[in-house]
Amino acid sequence: MTSLDVGLPASALAWHARVRALLVTVGAGVVALVIGAVFVILAGGSPARALGSMVDGTVGSKFAVGQLLTQAIPLLVIGLGLAFAFRGRVYNIGAEGQLFMGALAGGAVLLTLDLEPRLLLALALLAGTAGGATWGSLVGILRARWGVNEVISSLLLTYIALFVFGWAIRRPFGDPSAGNNLASRPVPEDTLLPTLPGYFVHYGLFGALVLVPIVGYVMARTPFGFRVRAMGLNPQATEVAGVRTGRLVVWLMLLSGGLAGLAGIIQVVGIEGRLDAGISQSYGFTAIVVALLGRLSAAGVLLAALFIAFLNVGGQAMSVDEGLPYSLVVAIQGVFVLLVLVADRFSRA
Amino acid sequence: MKRFDGLTALAGVDFDVRKGEIHGLLGENGAGKTTLMNILFGLLQPDAGTIVIDGEPVRFRDPHDAVARGVGMVHQHFMLVPTLTVAENVLLGERHGVTLTRRDVAGVSARLAACAERYGLDVDPSAPVWKLSVGEQQRAEILRALYRNARILILDEPTATLTPFEAEQLLPRLRAMAAEGTAVVFITHHLDEVITHTDRITVLRGGRHVATLAPGETTTRELARLMVGREVASFAVGLGDAPLDAAPGAAALERVQGVREPVLEIAGLQARGPMGNLAVRGVDVAVAPGEIVAIAGVEGNGQSELEEVLLGLRRPTAGSIRLDGREITALAPAERLRHGIGVIPSDRYRRGLVRALSVAENLVLDRIGERPYGTPLTLNPKAILANARQLVERFSIRVSRPEQPAGMLSGGNAQRLVIARALSRELRVLLAAQPSRGLDVGAMEFVWSQLDAQRAAGVGVLLISTDLEEVFALADRCHVMYRGAVVAVWERAEFDRERFGLAMGGVLGSADPPAVAEGVRV
Amino acid sequence: MDWSTIIGVSLFASGVQLAMPTALAAVGETVCERAGVLNLGLEGMMLTATLAAFVAAYYTHEAALGVLAGVLAGVAVGALKAFLSVFLKTDQVINGIVIVIFAQGVTLFAYERLFGGLSTQPEIAPLHDVRLPGLADIPWLGPVLFDQDALFYVAAVVALSVWLLLFRTRFGLLVRAVGEAPAAADSAAVHVDRVRLFALLVCGALAGLGGAVLIVGDISLWGPNVTAGRGWVAVALVIFGRWNPLLVLGGALLFGITDALQLRIQAASGGTTAAVPFEVFQALPYVLTLVVMVAATVASRRSAQPAMLGIPFRKGVSE
Repeated sequence: MTSLDVGLPASALAWHARVRALLVTVGAGVVALVIGAVFVILAGGSPARALGSMVDGTVGSKFAVGQLLTQAIPLLVIGLGLAFAFRGRVYNIGAEGQLFMGALAGGAVLLTLDLEPRLLLALALLAGTAGGATWGSLVGILRARWGVNEVISSLLLTYIALFVFGWAIRRPFGDPSAGNNLASRPVPEDTLLPTLPGYFVHYGLFGALVLVPIVGYVMARTPFGFRVRAMGLNPQATEVAGVRTGRLVVWLMLLSGGLAGLAGIIQVVGIEGRLDAGISQSYGFTAIVVALLGRLSAAGVLLAALFIAFLNVGGQAMSVDEGLPYSLVVAIQGVFVLLVLVADRFSRA
Repeated sequence: MKRFDGLTALAGVDFDVRKGEIHGLLGENGAGKTTLMNILFGLLQPDAGTIVIDGEPVRFRDPHDAVARGVGMVHQHFMLVPTLTVAENVLLGERHGVTLTRRDVAGVSARLAACAERYGLDVDPSAPVWKLSVGEQQRAEILRALYRNARILILDEPTATLTPFEAEQLLPRLRAMAAEGTAVVFITHHLDEVITHTDRITVLRGGRHVATLAPGETTTRELARLMVGREVASFAVGLGDAPLDAAPGAAALERVQGVREPVLEIAGLQARGPMGNLAVRGVDVAVAPGEIVAIAGVEGNGQSELEEVLLGLRRPTAGSIRLDGREITALAPAERLRHGIGVIPSDRYRRGLVRALSVAENLVLDRIGERPYGTPLTLNPKAILANARQLVERFSIRVSRPEQPAGMLSGGNAQRLVIARALSRELRVLLAAQPSRGLDVGAMEFVWSQLDAQRAAGVGVLLISTDLEEVFALADRCHVMYRGAVVAVWERAEFDRERFGLAMGGVLGSADPPAVAEGVRV
Repeated sequence: MDWSTIIGVSLFASGVQLAMPTALAAVGETVCERAGVLNLGLEGMMLTATLAAFVAAYYTHEAALGVLAGVLAGVAVGALKAFLSVFLKTDQVINGIVIVIFAQGVTLFAYERLFGGLSTQPEIAPLHDVRLPGLADIPWLGPVLFDQDALFYVAAVVALSVWLLLFRTRFGLLVRAVGEAPAAADSAAVHVDRVRLFALLVCGALAGLGGAVLIVGDISLWGPNVTAGRGWVAVALVIFGRWNPLLVLGGALLFGITDALQLRIQAASGGTTAAVPFEVFQALPYVLTLVVMVAATVASRRSAQPAMLGIPFRKGVSE
């Protein structure tokens, strides 16, 4: 019996477990969509038309596909980091705060330094990653050093991060012309990520896609990934066997925080062009769903990120076309992840 | 009959107990003794068969039914809630009103005290259980059963965790209960005890009933044969009063003579327990290369905290640990390992292996990033599997294949795995905590021979054990721990059962004359 | 800055009011954690309760019915948590997070479904407008009991009741036993899972009450993040209060008074143009919670945490 309930198959049964995990997830997804259809009816709409509108709004045109992929980028980048951390049973739920701290650190570089654009961009991406990693490492250090529960500390730090970010875009980096919509001054235009010609998606997509095999490889085929998995399954035995589990916890927080921070700065240079609250539509929290639905595997996270992006972008189209509340798709996500948890347990019984 | 996951733990066992008798139930680990008794106590339901009490067939859905029919049980691992008092633990099983006032507790305490008086079972009903010694906890368990008017009292390995002195005190008390008409079932694998203290003996093996005998018509040797199913060397099964052989480590000692410089030195070590109490209060031990030094004592006298400190899981509040003269007190388990300390933790499933990982992965858990098993960025599954095949062979680990999850191994095989990993690197010191606990005779023989071989190879072995047989079989020197402190140190030539027993009960230190002190509370 | 207006007599009163929802939820969490169930779904419980209370109070115009609905909703989420943790025995950390996500999605949808068409944001009459006729007219006692400060008595009574429940009832004995040594409790014929289920229902009721008080007694409006992390703060306060309901209440009051203080300083210091940014004060309660949680974790020599917290009980399997 594996001790994690979502994902993390026992090594010797990996293949078997992966197939089962996929079947369970897809099955739960189908049930979630059926429940979603009931929601649509409750909201006074037609499920077929709602689905049609969602499909149309996500893959119906080049623009729609661009929207879908653009939404999937932050979910994918953050989800990969969270999946890794969750494998080691390090439950970082503060990615939202790490995202904003990353955006802030990267944004500070963009707004204060005067360098050659490419160098500035590279530096900003690095600073964004470092900012998120630093914010995450606080959580890791607190847990490794004193055993402070990381779920609560990472969440409290998210609230604190939001206030820090709010202050930064109001005072030091604030743009007076933005009025009541708080935002920073725009970052230098030549540091913005270019858009894929013909599609409406920025180059961050490639960065995110490159991360999938890299994180997948590190999780499954390196000593580090192995130690993380062992720690998730039995921290004491792993420590007694000579693994520095405290360091591993801090590393996982650096990594998941760093990826969240990277996602944050990518949002700045890829979409918004400045620091404001719009860089995240709760991506840090939604990525938890992505990691869990992706069963803590890199490929799974990719699929889950696309699916959730489909729900989000499609949901927007649906609310415009059909006048149905957007929150419907948020509810479906909640139902889906709950169903996976339940179905997974029953499939083991 | 009872099946667990397709394994038949019990197959058509017939067993009867008479009023007023002490019935010994004998068998190896895994023979089905505990399963049988758990069924009798309603903790498990049989897949087939019936239980008859006073001629009446009964069905126990849960322990409450069993208690209602007068069955009481004292588990080997005591079933008491440590943070509650003795009286509260008794109340736990009672059905009464919604409220629980101080008066309710006082009432129970008074009745318990009266009951304790009557049977000479000295326990303070208002003391929290975690503060009690193991002997006191056991008396609290017995008291709870008697409080509930148990007419059938089942004791699972009641002497296993007691000092010899405490065990001697317990047995007449059981006899007194039997004399009042209680049927006592006494589960054990100690052959001497059943011969001298029971009225009838039932032997189980592999879930089957082998024989029911009277102690007068059998011998320890015959019982051992019935229990194991083959002739056994006297080495392993109950040393009894067999004379000790000369120090088995003598040869190794001679080889390293002049090098009596200790490889491991523990000085003035103190540590707190999980409840914040000072659980280890000043332990000094030195281990030289090529000797086995034991730390004996009754469970719950600070050994587990000491083990955690030595493993590097618990920070000591005072004192030092030195390896080859170098301070290692503050080092993490990983660094200790690199310095040549091998460990066999007492809790093999919690600290020894990762159940959900394969046998092969568990065998390289400590060296996963090192060549040939991998580099910092790669794993080498071929080398990992090859290593597993070799160690499985060398340590006779019974596995279907190395990719099998370690959690599926039996206790003995799991322990072989833990030992295989610990011994597959160059060691300076081997720390073995309760290395043969819960193992059957074959596995125990294997563990002992491995420790012996390490000693012969010049490794300093520190053995933490509550099993006196193990200590007597292996140790060159023995420290006895009582209430967190070392109360006695003896060289092998001075080993003496009676003195050990007294020291483990806190009555005597090695400096004291071997006489029974006054005012012993047992 | 005029400090006398900041630290006035009413600071305590408004601190109590701010602390109430968190305090009730934290005391509820104490019960289920004592029983060995780590309920990280607390935020979800509170959130669900706020919506239920809002809807009931909105349609019936009865604040009391709103409170009742909140409690019932909390109990329902408690039952869901019990289903996942106690019966399915899924990972308690994960199922807690999942419950929060689930609750966020479903409440938002339900709210938009019910009130989406309205042009103005719906609002309910707050609790303190509902004077209980007769009772409030009792001289001296009436104003005290049915004034704002009445909430303090409610909190104190609830915390004290929970303390009595844990330490002076048979149920409390069972709760403490199954959180500490479920196998031992099981062998004493205690139904471990049943006790944990009831503990979660009690927790749900209290968290639901907290959510209801927040909406009916304070905010009067509903929004998607109306609980603003109070559930998480409550979980932290249980650690700070060392699993003792009275200490947990004390911690919650401290938290509430700090919150009231920061609001007043923020107001007095001149808003967006002040020398000290108002975000500092806004962040203060969260910083304080984090600091006290860390301090409580670091300082405790003997862990007061129930030994089997977060670990599902399986019969016949020793941990």
